[in-house]
Amino acid sequence: MDAIRLNNLVKQYGPTVAVENLSLTVRAGTMFGFLGPNGSGKSTTIGCMTGLLDPTAGEVELLGKPFTASSADLKRRIGVMPETLGLFEPLYAHEFLAFVARMFGLDEATTRRRVTELLAALELTDTSKTLSEYSTGMRKRVAFAAAVIHTPEILFLDEPFESIDPAGVALMKQWLRRFTDQGRTVFITSHVLETVERLCHEVAIITQPGKLVWQGDITVFNNDGVIPFDGQEFHALEPLFLHLTGERSADLHWL
Amino acid sequence: MNTALIGDLIRLRYRLLWAKTRSRNGRIALFFAGYLILIAAIALLTTGGFGAALAAVRSGKGEMVAQAVLSGIFFEAILASNILGFGLNAIFSDVELRRYPLHAADRRAARHLIGLADPFWLLFFAMDLGLALGLYAAGAGAFWFGFVAALLLFVCNYLLARVVALLIDRMMRRRGGSALLLGLVMLLALGPSIMQPVFRGHPDRWQAVLRWLQITPPFGAASAMIHPGMPALNGILLILLWTVGFLALLTAIENRPPSRTAAVSLKIDWDTWYERAAAFFGPAAPLVAHWLRFYLRNNRTRAMSLFQLPLVAFLTFQIGRQAGANGFFVAALGTFPVATFMGVARITVNQFGYSGGGFRRYFLLPTDPAATLRAGSFASLLLGACSIPILLAAWLVLAPKPLDPAMFVMLACSSATGLLLFNAAALWVSLFNPRKGNYQSSLGNDLSLGGNILVIGGVLTALLAPRLLVRAWPAPFQPENWWMFLPLLALAIAVYLGSLNTVCALFAPRRERLLAVVEGRD
Repeated sequence: MDAIRLNNLVKQYGPTVAVENLSLTVRAGTMFGFLGPNGSGKSTTIGCMTGLLDPTAGEVELLGKPFTASSADLKRRIGVMPETLGLFEPLYAHEFLAFVARMFGLDEATTRRRVTELLAALELTDTSKTLSEYSTGMRKRVAFAAAVIHTPEILFLDEPFESIDPAGVALMKQWLRRFTDQGRTVFITSHVLETVERLCHEVAIITQPGKLVWQGDITVFNNDGVIPFDGQEFHALEPLFLHLTGERSADLHWL
Repeated sequence: MNTALIGDLIRLRYRLLWAKTRSRNGRIALFFAGYLILIAAIALLTTGGFGAALAAVRSGKGEMVAQAVLSGIFFEAILASNILGFGLNAIFSDVELRRYPLHAADRRAARHLIGLADPFWLLFFAMDLGLALGLYAAGAGAFWFGFVAALLLFVCNYLLARVVALLIDRMMRRRGGSALLLGLVMLLALGPSIMQPVFRGHPDRWQAVLRWLQITPPFGAASAMIHPGMPALNGILLILLWTVGFLALLTAIENRPPSRTAAVSLKIDWDTWYERAAAFFGPAAPLVAHWLRFYLRNNRTRAMSLFQLPLVAFLTFQIGRQAGANGFFVAALGTFPVATFMGVARITVNQFGYSGGGFRRYFLLPTDPAATLRAGSFASLLLGACSIPILLAAWLVLAPKPLDPAMFVMLACSSATGLLLFNAAALWVSLFNPRKGNYQSSLGNDLSLGGNILVIGGVLTALLAPRLLVRAWPAPFQPENWWMFLPLLALAIAVYLGSLNTVCALFAPRRERLLAVVEGRD
């Protein structure tokens, strides 16, 4: 079964095309990496897939059903960690997580239990600070907790590992692996290609403006395999990514 | 001192003002609220100061009028700068300026020169200068003494306003700071009215106060503008001493970092009163509780909510005693509605402007996107409605006796009508004229043009409408005609519900535009 299906997705801001006829399929139970250079349209695509933005054209299907901004039932089945984290600064971490949990329909006992467990697991036990006083890494962990608190079937994570300490990243990876082992889907964007290579089963690479240039299985890299493309053999994700998105070089003599 | 870079920063301040014209809203706002009003105000007030000076000299009370006018301008500038928040800019805070290669002293100089060069402060300088020029033209005082006195008084005024702003900011960070500020504001607001009878009965006491006032900067400036020779020099020296004193005080406060609270783990309270109060709203309860929290965690909302009640008491007293028979009641019909929205107005008219990145979250929740707009408005209504029983209780205790029970119905209807109409208009402004604001700031005016028009216009309308209406049509203000307020309330309910439904329908299609504004990309 396909967890995510994009069909000719287009997103335009006035005359500017942010995503151009993007078609993509993600199977359920996959850890899917969605890669691209800065400004290539990754966050815009996630915005269209999660109800934040309205696509200009094309369709989004989640869990086999058409998805729009008002698909409340489908939203209940997905979890999102947006690029800007989507935190309410004046709240304490437990208040924010409890609010999200209640909005997703968890009963009061489950809400309290899960919030307490998540705060302890992610080491967010300093309840004297509001979210505005947290460090970037702590804020990311809160946003991650908010994305998973209702055990969604699809998890969208926009650059989840940046700014988080190695122990936190290791814990999150462990959770994500268990998540996909249970048949749930994780859709990740990241610029840390080593992490994506080790974590993801499949990857899609887009270039500006939101144009799919490659999609395929990358588990071969973990078995010392190669991916042939354009008459070349790629032993790792980074050279493949650079080949597809264009390696840049600029010689600044004063630098 | 890095004067070149400081000059660049002052130019940047004006370039940023100009950059606002790139957006449509910015062009409108800047044109109407900024330069047009500023130029008109400078022209009018300078001429006003000029005219006042001429009239004062001709009446033979030049120094007395100059003292009164300069003291008024001095006091108004401090009040306006701190309450309305004009003339302060967070973009040029010390933290922001640290990115430039400037020493601490240069950063301080840059910040305050940018502050002094703000259009708001230049307006007050124009007023001081207008008076000085008027006095000179009328033959009182020397031109250069007057000019120097006006310039020094302007700098002194700015420094004192900054000291007051910093003290308020530090006070608000402390526990109980809001209450302390409230006490001080009450003292300031009610002080003159309380002191008036004391001075009326004992003119000697007023003379003693006047002797003390002689050593204040506005009186020093008045002396320098009126008299030639040594008295003028003494006046200028006096302002100079105050200026140096305020500069030293400002430096001392700025060098002392605000106290921080130690990190501790507190026991989590799951069932707070926010949740209990919001439970009344059924499925929308979590969102309403969230909005109640969002409103009441805000320092400025808390301070204004406390401040509005004594302010209303003061306004009712001031307006009522001038309005003749039944004056207090007519005044209260206008002031009570103000108390229902004044405290929460800043967030109500710019509901999403303070959400920052959190605004995105509303669209990820499994609910109708407009549910958050609705819940925010309900929270604002709930908080505003809480004032009504307090106001009615205050009326019971403080109003002149005998009291007619119908008055309470009329006051309650008038308060609820004001609350509903303000919230109806606020929904439109929140959607069509939002502005990114700083939730944490205790000072400053970060409302959009529409927000300012609604808040200022709402207050003025509420205060003036009953006074004007009672002259044209006194019947509805008679307690026996209390029922006339019921259709008014029904109309307000209809307007509110109509606005709520229409704005909610427009919310989802407009969310991307809102997102751009709220996240500062507009």
